Amino acid sequence: MSLVRSLKIMARDLKMGPRSPIFFYAILFPIAMTFVVTVVFGSLFEPVPRLGIVDEGSSVIAKEARKLPGVKVTFLKSASDLKDMVRANDFDAGLILQKNFDESLRVGKKPKLNFFIGGESLASNRLILASSTFEMVRQADGSIAPVTIKLTTTGGQSVPLESRLLPMLVMYAVLIAGLFVPAASLVEEREKKTIEAVLVTPVQMPDILAGKAGLGVVLAMATGIMTLVLNNALGVNPGALIIVLFLASLMSAEFGLILGSLAKDTNTLFTFIKSIGALLAAPVIFIIWPGLPQWIAKIFPTYYFLSPLYEIAIKDSSLGQVTLDLSIGFGICAVLIPIVWKFGQRMEQQIGSS
Amino acid sequence: MTEKAISVSGISFSYGNLLAVDNISFEVAQGEILGFLGPNGAGKSTTIKMLTGQLTPKNGNISILGRDIVKNRADVQGDIGVCFEEKNLYLNMSARENLQFYSGLFGIKDLDIQGLLAKVGLADRIDDRAKNFSKGMRQRLMVARTLVNSPKVLFLDEPTDGLDPVSAQTIRKLIVAQAKKGTAVLLTTHDMEEADKLSDRVAFINDGKVEVIDTPENLKLEYGKREVKIRLRTEGGVQEETIAFDEKEAGDRLKSAVTSKNLMTIHTEEATLENIFIKLTGRGLEG
Repeated sequence: MSLVRSLKIMARDLKMGPRSPIFFYAILFPIAMTFVVTVVFGSLFEPVPRLGIVDEGSSVIAKEARKLPGVKVTFLKSASDLKDMVRANDFDAGLILQKNFDESLRVGKKPKLNFFIGGESLASNRLILASSTFEMVRQADGSIAPVTIKLTTTGGQSVPLESRLLPMLVMYAVLIAGLFVPAASLVEEREKKTIEAVLVTPVQMPDILAGKAGLGVVLAMATGIMTLVLNNALGVNPGALIIVLFLASLMSAEFGLILGSLAKDTNTLFTFIKSIGALLAAPVIFIIWPGLPQWIAKIFPTYYFLSPLYEIAIKDSSLGQVTLDLSIGFGICAVLIPIVWKFGQRMEQQIGSS
Repeated sequence: MTEKAISVSGISFSYGNLLAVDNISFEVAQGEILGFLGPNGAGKSTTIKMLTGQLTPKNGNISILGRDIVKNRADVQGDIGVCFEEKNLYLNMSARENLQFYSGLFGIKDLDIQGLLAKVGLADRIDDRAKNFSKGMRQRLMVARTLVNSPKVLFLDEPTDGLDPVSAQTIRKLIVAQAKKGTAVLLTTHDMEEADKLSDRVAFINDGKVEVIDTPENLKLEYGKREVKIRLRTEGGVQEETIAFDEKEAGDRLKSAVTSKNLMTIHTEEATLENIFIKLTGRGLEG
């Protein structure tokens, strides 16, 4: 197999991609799905509280602010810039932590804390940011809270349904780009017999398969990241999520190559995708409805990237906590390689005999 | 025309129980054009697929430029050009993009695309997408694509089939020009006249076997009729006579006819390749 030739195949497909409606579909689908979900759950126009901070020293409050859940925190260097941006409604609130603020607090002085509220900010966001800031200052001071607040979750599920839909959105984005695009590309080349012309050059079938897989992985990674960004889910642990997305993209591309090798024409491919698509998507059901017996989800190969994705993006798990599932997922990818190879050989024989 | 560019020895291929190619052997020298003639289903395409590495023969050996195609497929494919009967171009790509892509697959970086397209009369359409080309233009682009790697062996499957006379003539001239440069050409065609004009030798293939392989002239001599047909004016109209050269009094009869004032026409009865094919196989080329 030649990497250079595989890259040439991939480059051609990427270059010609924008001339194919499937490419547009692969890119537009995650955006459309995210839009639908946010509209259905009413979170499309629900802004995240935005806090701007100027830390003139190195306050622990600034460090704590980074960890605030559901708050977008931005650090600036200039107090005047911060005030301008709050005034312009770029932030809901601005916090200026003066030099030696923490020390002054600890020795019992009452340092000045400048907290600016944007005139156009939502009352709910003002409340969230003000109470969060107050709590951070109290913790930095080391004082004991006057009351103990016990948080009790009501409503049954600890994770909102909207968040539980994230793996579904990512899965569809990754499957369409990673599975459907290379499969459709392979089938189109067979239907139009362009693959025959390529196979009488020094390019061999493994080069073609690797090129198409590369196309699927690149596209699936791109659409997967785009979906996570659109759903504000990439920020927690982006490195770990990218590893999970790579696994998802690779597995999707391998399934795509198998289906593309099996299908003799586009109609057959659509039939295959309709059939196998339900099986690949099955683990999503177990994430959406966690009351179902979870061991069933582990039967399906896509579980091994969907579960880590859910754990990292929604439950803030670390990469170490999902190592086992990821290892099984990469193991499945390794097992699929000789299967893809075999189906590729079979397809080549069919092309030669046609 | 001395060194063997293609050497085929006893190759066979079956599709399941159907024996498509049955123990075929032949050779093509460098700079030679071999016309590969036969009806549909005779085994021409299967043979070409084996020679170009698309199919592996069940037995026998194929040597292209001294290398075994089965063992050195990618290596051999770097030195051959294949023009398919089906127009399998990337239709969404321009002529330039098609040739750029294929030259890239051969590892060629400095291809003179403009010059190559000029050879097939498409230089002024270089940036037009292939889907906007006529059938003849697509076929000419196919031929140009076949030449991107300056192949030493060319396999052309019905390269002029269904083309307008201008496109067909352009392609025929290119084939001859390539052969003059030393390229071995294996040409399959239904067009007997084309095969007769272009081929140094022709091979008749039928039911998976090579029935005969020789120069068109030798075949015509061997299988043609050694006779002339004369037409003489008579009082009642026109009299036709046939004089076979092998007759005892052929010389006298011919002399008498030629010197007669009543002689209207005299024609040699030369066999066509089609006649010879029918005579040898019992079937026509369209069958």
